[in-house]
Amino acid sequence: MEAELRPQEELSHAPVVGLSLCDSAPLLWRLQDLKAVRSEGLVGALLGSLPRTPRQNIRLGRPLLLLPEEERLLGERRGAAALPARNQEVAGGELQQHYAEEQQRSFEEQSVLALEDRKSALVRAMTSSSGSDPGSDEVLQRRLLDLEQNFSFPRSALAVQLSTARAGLSHCPEARAFLEADWPIRAQHCPRREARFQVFRDLRGRGFFLTSAGKFGGDFLVYPGDPLRFHAHFIAVCLALDESICLLDVLCVARLGSNVKKTVLLCSPAPDGPVRYTSLQWSGMV
Amino acid sequence: MADQNKPEGAENFFNEILSPCELFAARSRSHKIPARGQKDFYPDDSEEQKQRLQQSLDEHWSLISEERVERLGNLVKAIWSPSERIVELQTPAGKFWQTMGFSVEGKQLLLPEEALYLMECGNLQVFHQDLPLSIQDGYEAFLSSDSVSLQQYQVFGHLKRLGYVVHRFDPSSEPSPYARQLNLPRSKDRGARQLKRKRSPSPTPTSSKTAAKSQAEEMEEDDKLPESHLVASAAPQTSSSGPAGEVQARTWWPADVPERQAGQRSAPGSQRWDFSSICFPDLGSAGRLAPPDASLLPGGVMPGVCDVAPWMRRINLRKVKMSVKEEERERRQRRRDVNKDREVRRCRNWAEYHELLERRQAKRQGRPAHLWSGEVQPLHDPTQPISTAELLEKISVIKSTNLLEGAARFKVSEEWRICFNVYQPDSVADFKKSNPGKPYARMCVCSFDGPVPDLRVIKQLSFQSGDVPIVYAAVDHGDISFYTFKDFQLPMDVYP
Repeated sequence: MEAELRPQEELSHAPVVGLSLCDSAPLLWRLQDLKAVRSEGLVGALLGSLPRTPRQNIRLGRPLLLLPEEERLLGERRGAAALPARNQEVAGGELQQHYAEEQQRSFEEQSVLALEDRKSALVRAMTSSSGSDPGSDEVLQRRLLDLEQNFSFPRSALAVQLSTARAGLSHCPEARAFLEADWPIRAQHCPRREARFQVFRDLRGRGFFLTSAGKFGGDFLVYPGDPLRFHAHFIAVCLALDESICLLDVLCVARLGSNVKKTVLLCSPAPDGPVRYTSLQWSGMV
Repeated sequence: MADQNKPEGAENFFNEILSPCELFAARSRSHKIPARGQKDFYPDDSEEQKQRLQQSLDEHWSLISEERVERLGNLVKAIWSPSERIVELQTPAGKFWQTMGFSVEGKQLLLPEEALYLMECGNLQVFHQDLPLSIQDGYEAFLSSDSVSLQQYQVFGHLKRLGYVVHRFDPSSEPSPYARQLNLPRSKDRGARQLKRKRSPSPTPTSSKTAAKSQAEEMEEDDKLPESHLVASAAPQTSSSGPAGEVQARTWWPADVPERQAGQRSAPGSQRWDFSSICFPDLGSAGRLAPPDASLLPGGVMPGVCDVAPWMRRINLRKVKMSVKEEERERRQRRRDVNKDREVRRCRNWAEYHELLERRQAKRQGRPAHLWSGEVQPLHDPTQPISTAELLEKISVIKSTNLLEGAARFKVSEEWRICFNVYQPDSVADFKKSNPGKPYARMCVCSFDGPVPDLRVIKQLSFQSGDVPIVYAAVDHGDISFYTFKDFQLPMDVYP
């Protein structure tokens, strides 16, 4: 027992999240990883259907897609590792046997539970209708016995889990152990990407939460706190310091910002370190 | 919902498997999503805000962590085949079969994106080597840049969750522009390869009678257009003549009618006449009128020669009575002596006199020489009537164009392609996979990081799509925005 507890303590000090690549996009699948990443202030975007109500687009479920800047930040902090790929099992191996055994065990347990459930429902129904009548007690016992003898739990009623994350059944020992933080930094050598990352890191360091802002015509939406509870204050547009922009583009983005009631931030990382911010505010001429 | 029965050890830290007890209890789960409350504006480190944040987060995690639990009887079992990249159903399909999947040789098959969507909805359980695939396995195995990319799947899932019917776009199953021009009815067989070769829309003209006749019959069978019975009746006549130009009783119908008639949208019953060979009688010339062609008249009628002389006599030959003004003008013109005209005296020869006359004529008609005889002439004579649209057309510097102009010459590009056909949700009840009909729109998936489609791409994709509008789905890390380009005509006519 003690041997099992120690690794848990280690885990709570160094949460390394497991990333898996799907079509070269970094995805997070395990709930603990999502929680860990959120506690570091990285929001990401959920892509999948929500298990409770799959046929709507308002609230989505796992997996979580990370922005390239979020992925790079995790890599730099040595907080990310590659999840092992699915075991290439051989058909008819021991994993399949294990799975069949688990199914059977689950079936037996669920039959017992179903019977108990029916019994208690019967008791509830009988006692509520007849009250505390001594004669009815015998009837109840007889009915319960009948139920037990004739009860059958069909296989089709077996409740089965459709796992979201690959865990447990694949039984990869690595999946359950402490992950080695070896996520490679997949940097793209592009000045725009570099500018975006510098701005992201700086704003995150100041405590802001950032998400993507394609719909708002910018690079990032900047929230003062968790996006679940606060509205975004800024639209961050990242530019290199020596990049020249057309005045019409500035007007466009300023208009956009004022229409959605957010301040536009023009962000440029300076070569000597700090990021320079310029905010645009529409002011009238009085 | 992490495992609560076993002790929290390293083993179970990442274990998201539910115990049988939890599985059984999942039957009575709520199916409602709690509504999100109002957001705050600024964090002020208050306890209240912290509490509300924690509450929101807890609610968020509990929703996200819920695992899919289904009754085995409600799940359709399927097997993933990585070599063919297809999912084969082992148990009969459910209601989704109406709009998804295809059958080949008695087997029910699903495309990978459809299978993944059904897995996410909790309707399908896919096995590979006798072990069930998790959603993560599905994403990693089914989605790749060479079949369906993650972004395309995002768009696919988004539309399916809204209720649309989404199928893969197959450019080869679209009719060619020529076939589209002929407006032939199409029959489609999605998924499985077409066994019958598509009949060519236009039979080549041949001089053999049997060939023309059989083509006419074939067209009669499969076109079922109102012209078809005319074609059948016309074919024997023209087939006897052939395109070589033999002498015929009637030359009114051009020789190549049968091939083209099938495609013409002419009114039923009308024929195209060759007016160069029809002679209309000239009623102006006095004298006799030739009798009409006997083949035009109903049988048995034999008109004689028509003598127009008595008719001509009856035409009004009275002298025209002029009004007072007209009579005055006539008198004035007779009085004016051309020799006394100063300008006429300045003419030294006949050529100059003719020029003078022309100039005077032009000025009278409103076309003064200084405007009209130079190199640069006015665009329009103000004395001539013209509609606003035509006038605007004359003075336009930039010619308006429509989206499909010149689109035929562009070859299909590699990086931009139409991904999906999208059909309306309310047509699901009578949707037939074998004949889906015209899609509501076609999707082209792109990303905010990538380039914006330029005019060439827009033209070539619109051309490929025909009359179905194209929607560009721009994916931005979870957000999808839909854009479409529409042709727009500026109004040209002004109505008072």
